[in-house]
Amino acid sequence: MIEFAGVSVRNLRVERLAIPAGLTAVIGTNGAGKTTLLELCCGLLLPDEGAVLVDGRPPREADTALVPAFPGSSLIFSRVADELASCGRFAGLAPCEVAQRVEEAADAVDARHLLDRSTRSLSGGEQFVVSLAAGLAGRPAVLVLDEFDGALDRESLIGLLPAIRAAGARYVLWSTHDAALAAWADHSIALEAGRVAATGPAALALFEGWECAA
Amino acid sequence: MGVRGLTTVVLDRIVLERGPFRLDADAVFGPGLHVVVGRIGTGKSTLALALAGGLAPVSGTIRLEGVSRRLWVGQSPWHHLTGATVEDEVTSWGLSAEPLLDRLGLAGRGALDPFRLSRGEQQRLVLGCALATDADLLVLDEPFAPLDVPGRVALGRALGTRPGVTIAMTHADLHLSHVTARWRIRGGRLDPEET
Repeated sequence: MIEFAGVSVRNLRVERLAIPAGLTAVIGTNGAGKTTLLELCCGLLLPDEGAVLVDGRPPREADTALVPAFPGSSLIFSRVADELASCGRFAGLAPCEVAQRVEEAADAVDARHLLDRSTRSLSGGEQFVVSLAAGLAGRPAVLVLDEFDGALDRESLIGLLPAIRAAGARYVLWSTHDAALAAWADHSIALEAGRVAATGPAALALFEGWECAA
Repeated sequence: MGVRGLTTVVLDRIVLERGPFRLDADAVFGPGLHVVVGRIGTGKSTLALALAGGLAPVSGTIRLEGVSRRLWVGQSPWHHLTGATVEDEVTSWGLSAEPLLDRLGLAGRGALDPFRLSRGEQQRLVLGCALATDADLLVLDEPFAPLDVPGRVALGRALGTRPGVTIAMTHADLHLSHVTARWRIRGGRLDPEET
């Protein structure tokens, strides 16, 4: 479980929330707190009050990966292959282990043809794919994808879903404005104005309300 | 000269190149909403940049007829932010802040640093300002991506009813109505899509 207890940060207040293992969709209107919740789960953001625990430990002690929607400014290296290798290299893995992980991650997202490209030359969608591969290469326990449907065309998106399932991350969280994609996840959490408004099927039902109110 | 009925963008056998990438296009965009689709990395943003005047074709010409004001909104709304506050941002477009912020669901947020807004809210702010300026040519790169469902529906409606030429690069076109023409980029070429 990823557990929230008495959490308060930015506009988000979550008294109690338990996110089970599997794929969890985080939905909500703009400014509802989706990105804040995701950043808490991977330890990028710490709560002002309360605690977030991943299997009983702070997220910063777990292996986590965050893939932002348009990751242009968070790609660090100039060559795609180095970006994918960065996690393993920072962790001090043996070079042959790093090379193997890079190849596996590139194959998982069908991005072998991008390995020698300059990260600066990638399109928005390609940046996302590379950022996802870099995340997968770190074999995270918590994989967080912030609006990954935003940067991708439908075919690319559907092609990546099996890889995300197969990545072996115990927790995968994604935020989305796409009802079908939210329904494809195992669990869902709906946020409204910084509060958890609903979880499970009741959360998905909120989509219809948004469509009708618009 | 901004004569509305005659606003036209002509791509006269242009070739765009960025490094090893090449895109060929021969097309006329008349008034109305044009949707350009294509898989990732096929050149949607490159075409948008060329239409915005940020990339010159290596051959062929881009002619803008009846366009006195063109606007481009890219994929990252924060790249467009220049104001120290949300209100400054709106007034920097020559618009009056209060009614627009009201309409965009950002009432009471005028004094905030725009970088404190969420990505979706930033997109709403930038698109709201861009749409309110009535550009003759409006080029949008993935405008729907960070918007929530109500925002997507509202944007789809606004794009389909504005005067002038609107060209939207997108793969999330579910919420678009009143589409004048659809185009697809595939294999380095822009082609009209059969409907």
